[in-house]
Amino acid sequence: MCNRRSISRLLLLMLLVTAGYNPLSAQEEPSSYANGKIPSMYLLRSDTSTHYRSSIGLMMVLPPQDMVETAIQAPLFNYHGILSLPWKLSLEGDVTSLIVSNQISLGPGFNLSKNNFGLKLGWDAAFVFGQLKQFGFNNTTKAWLHYPNISGSYLWNKMIFTVKAEAIIVLSVETQTGENQLSADRNFYNGFSGAFYIEQRLYKNKVLIIGFKDSFVKYYWPVWLTFSTFDRFYHVPEISFRWII
Amino acid sequence: MDHLIMKTNIRYLTLYISAFMILAVSCNKVYDVPVPSVTNSILKGTKPLAAASKALTEGIYQVNTANSVFGDTLVVKWTRKSLSFACNNGIYFVLDAGSLNSDILLEGYWRDGYSDGTGLCTMTIAGAEGGNEIVNEIIPQQIIMRGAFGNGDGTPDQTFTLTYIRPFSDKVKNTKFNVLAHRGGGRTSDRLPVSENSIEMIDWTERLGSTGIEVDVRLTRDKVAFLYHDADINIRLAKKGPLSGDIEAYSWQELSKYVRLIHGEKIPTLEDALTFVINSTNLDFVYLDMKEDKEAMAVVIPIQQKMLKRALDKGRVMTIVVGIPSTAVLDDLKTYPDYQSIPSLCELTVEDVRTANSIVWAPRWTLGTQNDLVRQMHSEGKTAMCWTIDNPAWIRDYVNNGHFDGLLTNFPSVVTYYHYIQK
Repeated sequence: MCNRRSISRLLLLMLLVTAGYNPLSAQEEPSSYANGKIPSMYLLRSDTSTHYRSSIGLMMVLPPQDMVETAIQAPLFNYHGILSLPWKLSLEGDVTSLIVSNQISLGPGFNLSKNNFGLKLGWDAAFVFGQLKQFGFNNTTKAWLHYPNISGSYLWNKMIFTVKAEAIIVLSVETQTGENQLSADRNFYNGFSGAFYIEQRLYKNKVLIIGFKDSFVKYYWPVWLTFSTFDRFYHVPEISFRWII
Repeated sequence: MDHLIMKTNIRYLTLYISAFMILAVSCNKVYDVPVPSVTNSILKGTKPLAAASKALTEGIYQVNTANSVFGDTLVVKWTRKSLSFACNNGIYFVLDAGSLNSDILLEGYWRDGYSDGTGLCTMTIAGAEGGNEIVNEIIPQQIIMRGAFGNGDGTPDQTFTLTYIRPFSDKVKNTKFNVLAHRGGGRTSDRLPVSENSIEMIDWTERLGSTGIEVDVRLTRDKVAFLYHDADINIRLAKKGPLSGDIEAYSWQELSKYVRLIHGEKIPTLEDALTFVINSTNLDFVYLDMKEDKEAMAVVIPIQQKMLKRALDKGRVMTIVVGIPSTAVLDDLKTYPDYQSIPSLCELTVEDVRTANSIVWAPRWTLGTQNDLVRQMHSEGKTAMCWTIDNPAWIRDYVNNGHFDGLLTNFPSVVTYYHYIQK
C-alpha cells in the first residue's frame, strides 16, 4: 500500500518537473508577473503600491470517512482577497462556504521578495459559523480559530509555485442543538496543513490557481454537523481551483 | 498563440489533477487498535468467582491514583463475559477475574473509545482489603483494588488504585434504562477488533456496557434480510473482493460467498443475528433500523414475530422493534395487515408514533431533550429513547436532565457511567 503511495508521489514530482518545461513560454515576451501585469495571489512584490486583488473558486475535499461515512459531499465555495500595503505588509481575507458551514478569516502578512523568490509570514484569525434548521435539524455552531502560516513562492517561466504551511489552533468551538448548548474544548492545537499552489496563466492575464492541500487535524469545521467525537488526527486532502479576478 | 498556450497549459493542469487524485486514493490503510495481548497471565490457577461474589464487587469506585487519566470516579459492573470499568471520558476496562486463596486477581486491558489509546491492566483485591469477604460471599467492609496499567502490549507499570465508595443507587437499580449500542454494538470506525453489524460485534458489545443494540437491515435481490449499513459494498466496511456497487443488487448467495466484512466476518442474515442475540447474549432490546422502504416490512416482520416467539419460549423478556426512520418506511409498514399491532420504534413525530401505534418514540438527539414531549409519550404508555448521542458532555446532560428511557450511542461505556453514577 505504501509502495503505491511512494510511486504516486514520484509520479506527481515527475509531472510537476515536466510541467515546468513549457516550450511555448520561451517564445513569449518575458514574464509579466514581475511587473504586475499578470496578477499573483502568492508572490507579492514588496515594492508594489497599495492595491487589492482577489480570486474565486471551488475546493473539493475528501473528509475523513470516519466522520462522514456515506454523507453527501459537496464542493466548498471560496473567495480570497489580498490588500497589498506599504512597508511590505498585506492584509489577507478569505471566505469559504458550504452554506451550512462557513469560515471567514482575516489576517496580516509580511512579504519579502527578491528576484524570483517570495516569502510571506502571516497570521489569520478565523470565525466559523453554521446552522441547519431544516429537515428536522435544529443545530447551530460557531468557532474561533487561528492560522499562523508561512509560505514561499518561486517564479519559473510563466508559473508561480508556492508551498505553504500553517498551524491550526482552535480557540473555541460552541455548538447548540435544540435547547442544549455545548461549549467544547477550548484552546487546543488542532494540527497543521501543508499546501502546494500552482498559479498558471491560461491566456492573456487570466490566471488559474490549482491548490493541493493536506490538513492533518482533529477538528474539521466543514463537517461540524456530523458531531464527530473522535479524538484522533485525520488527513484531509483538498484540491482547489481558483480564478484570479 | 494565446489559444495554443491555453490548450497546452490545460493539458498540464489535467496532469496535475490526475496526479493528485492518484495520491488521494492510493492509500486505503485499514486502521485498527489491537486488543493488547497478555503474556504470562496472572489468572493461571485461579478459580472463577461465584455470581454472588461478582455482585459484591459492583458499584462506584474512587480513583485514587491516575485520576488525571481515568477521572475521579468510575463504575464497576459485571457483564456477561467480563468485569467492566466505565469512566466518564470514554475510557473503559475489560477484565477477567479469578480468586486465588482469599485474593481476587483481575487482568485485562483499558481502551479509550474516543482515541486509539489502549494498554494492559492488572489489579488485585487482597484478602485483607475485601477479597476474603467477597470470595466468601459476605458484604465486605471495604474494597481496595491495587494494580497497574500500561500502554499497548507493554507491562503495566503505572500505579492504579481504586477504593469502593458505594453500591448503585436505588434509583438506578429500580429504573429500566436501555444502553443501546449502534451498528450491532459498535462501529467499524471505532477501531474495535470486530466489524460493525456482525454476529461477532453482537457478541462483543456487552463488554462495553450495552444492554441492547441497533442493527441496520437491508434486503438482498432475492429478499433475504441481512445486516449492513451502507448502500454499497465499499472498503470502509468490507474487504476488497469481486463485488462492488449497490449491495442490494446481489443475491444472498452472492453476498454470502464473496463479501467479507472488514475484519473478515461474514455478513449475517437478520434471522441469524436475532437467533444469536436470543440464544447467546443478555441483550434484551433490538432495534431493527430499516434501510429499505419498499416491501421490506413483508419480509422483516415475519422474522421479528418468529424471533419474539422464540425468545418467549426460552423465557426471555425481549423487545424487538422495527424502526420507522422515514415516512416512506411508515408507508411501507401501513401496507402490513394489522400494522398497529407490530412492535415498532418511530423516529418521526409523536403524531406518527400514534399513527403506527409504536411502542417507542426515538427522536434524533440533536432536537434536544424535549422533556414535555417525552412526558407526553410516557403518559400514553410509550417509552422514549433518542439517537445517536456520543459526546460525553451531552450524554451527561441527557441522562441527568432528560427523561428518556434509554440512549442509542456509539459509546455505551459513557452512557453506562452516567446512568450508574446517578444517586
